[in-house]
Amino acid sequence: MPDGSFASHPQERQFNPYSENGGTILAIAGADFSVIAGDTRQSEGYSIQTRYAPKVFRLTDRAVLAVNGFAADGNMFVKKVKQRLEWYRHAHAKDMPLKAIARLIQTMLYAQRFFPYYVYNILGGIEEDGSGAVYSFDPVGSYEREACRAAGAAQSLVQPFLDNQIYFKNQLAAPNQPHPVHLPLSDVLSIVIDSFTGATERHIEVGDGLEIYVVLAHGRSVQGLEGVPGVQELTTSGEGDRVFVIRRELKKD
Amino acid sequence: MHWLRSHKELRALESKVHLSSDSGASADPCAASNGIVIATEKKSSSILIDDSVIEKVAVICPNIGIVYSGMGPDFRVLVTKARKSAQAYWKIHGEYPPTKVLTQEIANIMQQATHSGGVRPYGVSLLVAGWDFPRGPTLYQVDPSGSFWAWKASAIGKNMVNAKTFLEKRYTDEISLEDAIHTALLTLKEGFEGQMTEKTIEIGVITVPSQAELEAGKVEGTGRYKPTFRKLTEEEVRDYLAL
Amino acid sequence: MSIMQYNGGSVIAMVGKDCVAIASDLRLGVQSLSISSNFEKIFPVTDRLYIGLPGLASDVTTLREQFRYRVNMYTIKEEREIEPQAFAQLVSSTLYEKRFGPYFIEPVIAGMQKTPSGSYAPFIAATDLIGCLNFAKDFVVAGTASEKLFGVAEGLWEPDLEAEDLFETISQTLLNAVDRDAFSGWGAIVHVITKDKIVILSSSAFISPGLGLAS
Repeated sequence: MPDGSFASHPQERQFNPYSENGGTILAIAGADFSVIAGDTRQSEGYSIQTRYAPKVFRLTDRAVLAVNGFAADGNMFVKKVKQRLEWYRHAHAKDMPLKAIARLIQTMLYAQRFFPYYVYNILGGIEEDGSGAVYSFDPVGSYEREACRAAGAAQSLVQPFLDNQIYFKNQLAAPNQPHPVHLPLSDVLSIVIDSFTGATERHIEVGDGLEIYVVLAHGRSVQGLEGVPGVQELTTSGEGDRVFVIRRELKKD
Repeated sequence: MHWLRSHKELRALESKVHLSSDSGASADPCAASNGIVIATEKKSSSILIDDSVIEKVAVICPNIGIVYSGMGPDFRVLVTKARKSAQAYWKIHGEYPPTKVLTQEIANIMQQATHSGGVRPYGVSLLVAGWDFPRGPTLYQVDPSGSFWAWKASAIGKNMVNAKTFLEKRYTDEISLEDAIHTALLTLKEGFEGQMTEKTIEIGVITVPSQAELEAGKVEGTGRYKPTFRKLTEEEVRDYLAL
Repeated sequence: MSIMQYNGGSVIAMVGKDCVAIASDLRLGVQSLSISSNFEKIFPVTDRLYIGLPGLASDVTTLREQFRYRVNMYTIKEEREIEPQAFAQLVSSTLYEKRFGPYFIEPVIAGMQKTPSGSYAPFIAATDLIGCLNFAKDFVVAGTASEKLFGVAEGLWEPDLEAEDLFETISQTLLNAVDRDAFSGWGAIVHVITKDKIVILSSSAFISPGLGLAS
């Protein structure tokens, strides 16, 4: 003020603790496998911060978590989930079952109900009965088991495509030939790659690199992975479910 | 009152038609199957005038050119209006107007001058030569009254009667552009006073694009179609006169 | 909420081999309330040219009349049918005329364009609400489901689809996209245009196996 006084005019200052870092994730459940994928671009506004920031993480030999939204929150959340899973291992001398991880994630998210982790989580892996599973979460812990889910910047581009290709939405089966409930792994991998190349083409926040995690139920053959170039196994112990990762380049423009 | 005024100007109009007939200029076109030629003599009243800047054949847009007989300043004004009209058409449709549409625009402008207050009719007759996709090469004449019609070959100006008789004998539907240029020059020669040189003759030609050129579309890098109307350079005119 | 979303609705056009297709949903709503399941947004311009007008419903009517008027004037004055390329320019200039008080419509154009050799080539285009033209070679989308349409089309479309396959592709793209859009849906209509035939199929009629253009 001209007279040097400030008292009469209240001023408000705000700090925004959140930002949105782009990228997209998706997961698809098969009969005895699960595929969890995400691109590796991290951006803020129109700037690319890095072309390689993983959004998909191996939690155990049977669980993989993809996180998308505010990267700082995502990384911290994954760190805390991993910590809880380690405590579980120390206490029970085994890995936490997938559905228990899902419930844990809900609890951890809802604990922050009034200052949420600004992230959308998708958890993929193998249930104790050996079936492939996908759990999707909102930022405050509402969750659901599904056969497929996309989240993130290009969710609106990818999800309807998955509806069509995974759930066979709007497609009529030929007489006496019902749609398959689960697709083979090789088909799922093609759909995942097509989804991301499509999203990369039309969404500026998607691109650079693609990481596809594949979780196979124990005892399942690697059918669908053989012949796939650059598959890398991440499994830590034998005789259980197995985790693989496939890396692909996406367009960088 | 109003009726009276219109009536008076209609008479003025008729005298203008007469004026353009013996104003000393003559323009002479010839439509060929693969093109059109418009040719004119340009003669100035004094040898002191620098006639290199006189322009009687004008490019309106890449596919249309016009030539006139009559009053130079009126022609200049019409050229400006016609060019603006062609660009306005391009702005709306993304292509230049067909010959008939452009001719109609000019004819409308000229017709309006016959019944508008405070103006006199344009003292020119025009020959409009153009090429367009649906109709191919076409040639129109526009009179000061605003009436217009298409020709295969015609002449306007002081020697038009003789010239048209001459053209009637020479014209065939199969005439080539090269032959048409020579026929046009011969026609002009009939009533020409003085020396026919590249300085006293102006020629414009419509060249019909080949099928290959049409399929190829726009000229690489320019985003424009190859022009179908162009004025011949003095060198080219000299070469045709020499033959 | 934006005025572009007020009534809802989406349109898509795709190029095939010697054919084009244009399709839309049939919903008319007022924000979240659905009013009609029979609101067509695609209109014929000539025998081989269609325009889709997704956006504010009142402007759909206004612009359709405006284009009808301008195309009729063109046809009379030029003594020829307007070609898709020229019509796209006309749409663009009509919209840009209202640059600072625009019609809330994002037109999509699809047709067969006459080539110099006398044959016909597929043509599609779209503009934004102030007439910025997009001449795509594959597909164009507009309306409230545009993002979803982009995503599905990018996954399903491929070059040189025959008319029957193009019909299947555009139908699946539209249906799956509008199913994820609250403002679009409630039926659909598809037009497939070839040089000498136009096939129009609406709503449930085409969700049956093998029911292509042949039937």
